[in-house]
Amino acid sequence: MTQSPTLSRRSAQSDSPLPRKSRQRGADARAGYTFLLPWLLGFIALTVGPMISSLYLSFTNYNLFEPPKWIGLDNYTTLFQDERFLQSVGVTVSYVVFGTPLKLAAALAVAMLLNSKRRGQGFYRSAFYAPSLIGASVSIAIVWKAMFGDAGPVDQGLSFFGINLGGWVGNPAMTMPMFILLTVWQFGAPMVIFLAGLKQIPADLYEAASMDGAGPIRKFFNITWPMLSPVIFFNLLMETIHAFQIFNSAYIISNGEGGPAGSTLFYTLYLYLRGFSDFRMGYASAMAWLLLIVVGILTLIIFRTSKSWVHYSGDAK
Amino acid sequence: MINRRHFLTTVAVGTASAAALAACGTGSSTSAGETGSAENPVTINYTWWGNDDRAERTRKAIALFESKNPDIKVNGNFTDFAGYWQKRATEAAGGGLPDVMQWDLSYLRDYGQRNQLLDLGTVNINTDAFDKSLLPSGQIRGKTYGIPTSTNAFAVYYDPAKLASLGIAEPTGKWSYKEFNDFLTEVGTKSNSAIFGSTDYTGVWWMFNIWLRQNNIEAFTEDGKLGFTKDDMKKWWNTTAGLRGTPAIITEERVTQLAPKSPFGSNVTATEVTWDNFMAGYLADSGAKELKLVPPPSDDPDNLGLFLKPSMLMVASAKTKFKDAAARFIDFMINDPEVGQIFKTSRGVPASKTQRDGTTFEGTDKLVVDYEKSIEQYLKDAPEPPIVGFGTLEASFKRVSSDLNYGKLTIDGAADAWFKEAEDLIKQNA
Repeated sequence: MTQSPTLSRRSAQSDSPLPRKSRQRGADARAGYTFLLPWLLGFIALTVGPMISSLYLSFTNYNLFEPPKWIGLDNYTTLFQDERFLQSVGVTVSYVVFGTPLKLAAALAVAMLLNSKRRGQGFYRSAFYAPSLIGASVSIAIVWKAMFGDAGPVDQGLSFFGINLGGWVGNPAMTMPMFILLTVWQFGAPMVIFLAGLKQIPADLYEAASMDGAGPIRKFFNITWPMLSPVIFFNLLMETIHAFQIFNSAYIISNGEGGPAGSTLFYTLYLYLRGFSDFRMGYASAMAWLLLIVVGILTLIIFRTSKSWVHYSGDAK
Repeated sequence: MINRRHFLTTVAVGTASAAALAACGTGSSTSAGETGSAENPVTINYTWWGNDDRAERTRKAIALFESKNPDIKVNGNFTDFAGYWQKRATEAAGGGLPDVMQWDLSYLRDYGQRNQLLDLGTVNINTDAFDKSLLPSGQIRGKTYGIPTSTNAFAVYYDPAKLASLGIAEPTGKWSYKEFNDFLTEVGTKSNSAIFGSTDYTGVWWMFNIWLRQNNIEAFTEDGKLGFTKDDMKKWWNTTAGLRGTPAIITEERVTQLAPKSPFGSNVTATEVTWDNFMAGYLADSGAKELKLVPPPSDDPDNLGLFLKPSMLMVASAKTKFKDAAARFIDFMINDPEVGQIFKTSRGVPASKTQRDGTTFEGTDKLVVDYEKSIEQYLKDAPEPPIVGFGTLEASFKRVSSDLNYGKLTIDGAADAWFKEAEDLIKQNA
């Protein structure tokens, strides 16, 4: 850094206090960006750069070996004639639509149970949170596959009650319920956030409601739900985005094939197969961008609807 | 206290020196030259797919090679089959394929035709001890991209002990499709569905290929198109139409549950139609005392449609800096009798006569060698390397057949689905 320009500027503007303040801000910003630099460089080189190149590749025919060939919108138009693609959309949408609300409901229910003052709550909170820490891991997917396989604990447990479904893993009708159970079981992360939200609700609201003779259901819908709505909104958004990205467990449980009969062909799994097994990187890039756009639009829709059901304290409502 | 100017200078100097170091890194790693010496050996990279057993055998072979060739060091690396091709694809995209690689026929065109592999005709590798009908399967448009290490052939495996316990006579291997189907039904019925006859053999691409050859049809034309029609395919899937859903054929649900182990290896089917070098794996998986091999069925007793396929090939990267060292290593792996003694039939039956004659085969290894001898009179030329993207087509053939068994697709629908994918792929790679 050279010293002289700073000196000359200081001497020229010494009598006006405003620019000095802005200069101070500029210096702060510089320091801030300097500290941000390592992250910023990584973000540009490892996230933004590849994203832009994938956007370019999505308009090309690229097989990794030969230079990409520009084909315009072809990848995007063929997508909608590809039956496997449509199947993967169906599988993923049904997973998001059924899995996410169930997971949030489970998280909220458990959070409310854990919110009461009882001995050993700390232990229960950790115990219920644990599955979400390990849930996305490879080992859990393998355990899950064994549990739901032929003569696995789930099959045997159900047989005890006279329900004979056989193994779930090989049955196309039962794989989706299995994946939804797997995601519901990982309710820990939204649960912790719900718990923090529940603690913010003033106890005197419930006391006042009790005085007026409100029962637990009434209290839930008239106090808990509106007071918690910003937290519900946040969890809904995060879990929806998260659900679209399911990959690890689908890859492991179906041996990376999306079977049986395509019932676990999740969007990201098909994308991966197209890119790395079929060497159609352009096609896979188009799929990635379509997913990004759809998730973006969904997020926007959830934001829009939030105005009518999310209640922030201080609002005149 | 951190002085801002001082801090920024440090950061700048640090960044610059890191960049300089990186520059040094690329500069110093370039090789001295094409050949090495005992004091200053060159290092070549070799990669293969396989299990721990193959890794152990390969390490022995590499150690032997290094002791015989002190001027070359071999750096070995392996993964499983599925991950293997994903790795190669990314390496090829980055221009960094290993110097020497174990290769599969299904992917030879994908890489050979796209100039990723070295033309082995330009280097010194001895193929005098090879059967002349086998070498073309490593050649594309007159250039030799791969040399087979070993061969395998298609066969029907069966477990004699299981058949004896059911009171069923052992097959002779001279059977029509109807007789084979009746045999499968007999197994399923006599065992009360405790043991299924087989998996649906019409779901195996290579069995389809053999059936086509029995009908004098080549699967792919020379210009990379399909050599058979949709009707051929429907006819083929109709072969077992009466068996699906009966005890003759294991349900797809069970097959999926058992994966990645095979139903035959898990002792739930009495037979399996596949490559003869899977013997050791099946024996280990099933724990059976003995397994036997007979030829697959054919409606023409004189034309079994059989051929020896290279079970794997040795290839080199087109960009290798050590062509000479790579050629010597390949020559050693395919011809040296001691390498044969190390691998036995775990890679298939050695393709080079020098290596084959130098290897002693006992027990199960002998069974595999004897089987390939017994079908010698029926063998035709090995098929040419399949079309670009064949790996994908083979996988989708398996998937569509599986959907057929799940009842998700009719035979017509299955043929339509597969043809659509195949035509799309051929257009894509044209």
